[in-house]
Parts: sequence; C-alpha cells; structure tokens
Amino acid sequence: MSLPDLRGRAVWVFREDDYDIDRIIGVENIKITDIDALAALVMKDDEPGFPQKVQAGDLLVGADNFGYGHPHYPAMRAMRHLGVTGVIADGFSPGFWRGEISMGFPLIPCPGVSAATDRFDSLEVDWQAGCVRNLTRGWEKPFEPLSVADRAMLEAGGLVPYLKRAVDADRARAGG
Amino acid sequence: MGYTLAEKILARTSGRGHVRAGDEIEARPDFVIAYDFPGYTDVIFRQMRDDFGIQHVDDASRFAIFIDHMVPTATPKEEELHQMTRAWCAEQGVALYERHGIGHQVSAEVGYAVPGGFAVHFDGHVSQLGAFGSLAIGLRRNLLEAFVRPAISIRVPETVRIDLTGSLRPGVMARDVFHHLVRALGPKFAAFRVLELGGPAVAEMSIESRQTICGLAMFTGATTAVMMPDEKTVDWLGERPRLALDPVFSDEDAVYAARHTIDLSALEPVVVLPPTPSNTRDLSEVIGTEVQAGYLGSCASGRIEDLRAAAQVLKGRQVAPGFALHVVPTSRALMAQAAAEGLITTLVEAGAFVSSPSCDYCFGRIATMAEGQRAVSTGTLNVPGRMGHPKSEIFLCNAAAVAAAAIEGRIADPRRYL
Repeated sequence: MSLPDLRGRAVWVFREDDYDIDRIIGVENIKITDIDALAALVMKDDEPGFPQKVQAGDLLVGADNFGYGHPHYPAMRAMRHLGVTGVIADGFSPGFWRGEISMGFPLIPCPGVSAATDRFDSLEVDWQAGCVRNLTRGWEKPFEPLSVADRAMLEAGGLVPYLKRAVDADRARAGG
Repeated sequence: MGYTLAEKILARTSGRGHVRAGDEIEARPDFVIAYDFPGYTDVIFRQMRDDFGIQHVDDASRFAIFIDHMVPTATPKEEELHQMTRAWCAEQGVALYERHGIGHQVSAEVGYAVPGGFAVHFDGHVSQLGAFGSLAIGLRRNLLEAFVRPAISIRVPETVRIDLTGSLRPGVMARDVFHHLVRALGPKFAAFRVLELGGPAVAEMSIESRQTICGLAMFTGATTAVMMPDEKTVDWLGERPRLALDPVFSDEDAVYAARHTIDLSALEPVVVLPPTPSNTRDLSEVIGTEVQAGYLGSCASGRIEDLRAAAQVLKGRQVAPGFALHVVPTSRALMAQAAAEGLITTLVEAGAFVSSPSCDYCFGRIATMAEGQRAVSTGTLNVPGRMGHPKSEIFLCNAAAVAAAAIEGRIADPRRYL
C-alpha cells in the first residue's frame, strides 16, 4: 500500500524555530472541543480571516523543531477541519511528531524547506521519490525517510487502524 | 564498535543479539506504566476492549497504574474516572498505586526502576527512571500499542552523550544543571535521541538530582535520558527492583551521534523565563521581579534535597504577606521523611501551605493563578496557561530560589539566605 502524494499551496509558512502550536488557536482556547468553534479561531492573532483562505489540500510549512512546547491536539484538529492535509517542516519536535502521526496526519521532515518557500507556493510531496517539490520555484529537496512503523501508521490512517492490522497479524502468527 | 545502553536494552527486549541505532524493531517492555487521566487511560481501556476485543492485558504483572492527578478530586466526574480505574485494575489484576505520590517518583520507590529495564508510559517525564539505568520512554497515545500487543514497534534511537564535569557551587542545584544544558546546547540538541549523561559531576550527584535531570529530558527533544548505574544506584535501590536483570552499561567505544562536555564549575542559579522551557537566563538578571505565588514540588523537584534547601532558606523567616507558597512533596514516603527531619515544621512555621503529594499544582488544577499573576516554580513547564490564566507567568527555578522569592515577594538570590 502506498501513501497518496500531497499537492497543495503553502497556506502558511511558520518562520520561527521551536514554534509552539498552541499559538495557532491561542493557548486560552485549547480546551474548546467544538471543531467549528476551534477552526474559526485558527491564526486569529496573525491574520484575521485566515480560515476562509484555506483550500482543501493546502499544506503548512514550518521551520525547525516545529511543535516544541506542549503539543496539544486542537491546533491540528482545527487545521485538518479546514482542509490542511499535512505539514512540511525543517524538523519536528518529537512530542508533536508522535501525536500527529498517530492521528494519521502526514508530517514531512525536509531540512531547508522553510527558507525556500513563500506563502502560497505550490508544493508537492512525492512519497515514492522521497522528495518535496516546490512547483512555483522549481526546486526539489529530499525529505528524511519516515520509520517503517510511522509510515505504516500514515498508510493505515492512524494509530488505531494501524494497530488493528498489527494485532491481526500477531493473532495469525499465534495461530488464530 | 561497542553499543550504547539503549541499544543493549532494546537488543534484549527485542530478542535479538544486538541492535544498532536506526534499526526498526519490535521490543517487549518490561513495564507498562500510566496514570489515569481523561482522554488517555479511559480511552485506552475502552479501545482495548471495544476496538481490539482484548479482555486482558498480556502478563498483568508488567502493568501499573498510578492515581496521582486529580488528588483529591474536586468534581464527581473526576471521582468517577478514578472509580473506573480502580475497577479496571481489580478486574485485570493490575497493580494500582493511589495516594502514594507522583507516579514517576513512586515508580522508582516500588520497584519499576530496574537497571537494564525497559519501561513505557504515555508521559515523557517517566524518563527519570533513567537515573537508575532504565530505558523509560513516553509514547503519548502510542502507549495503546503496549496494551494491545506484547511488543511495541520502535526505531532504535541514536544516543547523544553529555559528560558533566566540575563541581557545583553552593546554591546551585540539579534544576540549574538541566536548564543550563538546554541553554548551552539548545532546545532540540537531543531530538529523537537518547540523552546519556555521565562524567565526574554525575558521579558526585545524589540519586535525587539525577532523577531531576533525567525527568526533564523532553525539553532537549530527547526520547528519554539515561545514566549508568553505580554503587549509589545499587544502594538506593536495595531490594526494590521487581526484575532481576544484569545492569547494562554503554561500552567505552559505543557509537554516539554526538558528544559534549559541560563544565558546571562556573554555573550560577538560573531561571527559565516565560513563555517557553527553552528561555534560560541567569537568575541574577531578573532579581527583583515581583511574584505572587510559589510552587515547590512536581515529579521533577519536590524531593528531600529540594525540601531541605527550601527549609534552610526559610528557617526562622516568614513568607511575604500576600505571597502563596505551596509546598508539595513528591511522594508520601518523602513527605514522611521530611516530617521526621523537621522540614515540614520549618516550612509550615514560615507560612508555607504544605499539601500531600499530587500532580495538580503543576498544571494549575489547584492553586490556580489569575490574569497578570506571576509564579516562581519548580514545576516542569512554563508555557502560558500551565498554572492558570493564559496571561499568568511562570518562572522556573530551583527550590532554594522559590523559597527566597517567597520571603521577599520578588525573585531573589537564594545564596544570601544559605
């Protein structure tokens, strides 16, 4: 099974290293569970009306150690609800990485991506070739390969479907 | 070429002769540890049964649950969560530790810290079991895997080695050492790697200081932290370990992703300024900043040496009017020891509010701050909203500095009171 390639605009480029994703919706709002209410708050401190600008398939671009701090889930839940399909960053913070991959949300570690991308550039993630392409600027950069388990988790659509397959395989190995 | 402690432990638990950083393996944790928390354990217990059709965990003796958050409970819903946890543990035959203290500390006290052992949790602060030569990893939601499968999938992490040299000056504590490491090497120098600490300064450190440093490892990006067991470890552990394993040590010629040497001789007390755990400065830069609250506790820093340092500062003195000093020993055993040593008396006479062990002060469930307030804290994290209003601020520092600030109502240098 293979992952569908990602194609979309860089709807936002986070230029700051160690970016704390709570800031996407405001730390005072992280306990909101209503997804429409959360989505309406996305990037409110940076750009009023941001939620209306997101198109299905859009991607986020981050700098290094993206997701540092306390990587709560609401920010990316809201981004997904708006249509964002993945994050390409120079590097990710481990807690954020584990949390979002377990949601089946693609994170692509691609050193140098943030400096070489402007907002609304067209991007492509080619899983087979292991590279990110910026179609607007005409560059191609390799991304760091995901672990076998992380990739399988994305292919399965997240932690639970991934583990169901693994548990079934365990049972088959054990003879039933 | 030799192997690191992490590689050796993962080789044993994956049933392979040897593994190298980067290898993709399945490893069977010796211990699966968690505390009950809404959205974590309740979901894991339900998913195990409903999504996977698994009635019982594989070898219940490997599992342990701690009730250390929401202690004591403040709403019926919180108590219902604990009731459900108690029922689940009883039905599964899984060990439950309630009101023994903060689980990461109690884990060591009741034998889940085993030199050479492999433990998993959803919470990353379990890394403090590394102080005893265990490999202990926080998996977040992926902990579910350890409940539904005998082994977990893991890519063997690289290790970054830090040698700590030099002697700490009076008034400088383990908290300062850890935050100094983040300042010196950056908030991601160990990302996805195991942080291995050693060297003469570690050899000189108490077990408690080692727990403090290993427990905060996630703020370097590290998957976990480890130290090699030594005579002090063996003495502290005594008969506690639940598994008889041969202790494991990194080989002299182990392959490290990086090596650094950090000299601690010139280190001053430091403070981590809001709003991120990477924002470390010398305490002297913020002396005089008004603060209204102080928290001495947490899985990182509420142990005897912290309580002794605070009591030394506060003995015969008084907490400033209007300042709320909360002192929360990390475990019941430590609280009893502090009482026996007279530390609790000293702290209470000085005006501290002393509470039984609980995680709740660390994340603002109790002793919540209002907008505009500032705290000095030995808690784990200083992100906005961690201890109350998103516009309250947390200054992380050592226990003596919390006590000094409590006296003055302002950030103060503890060394003038020692």
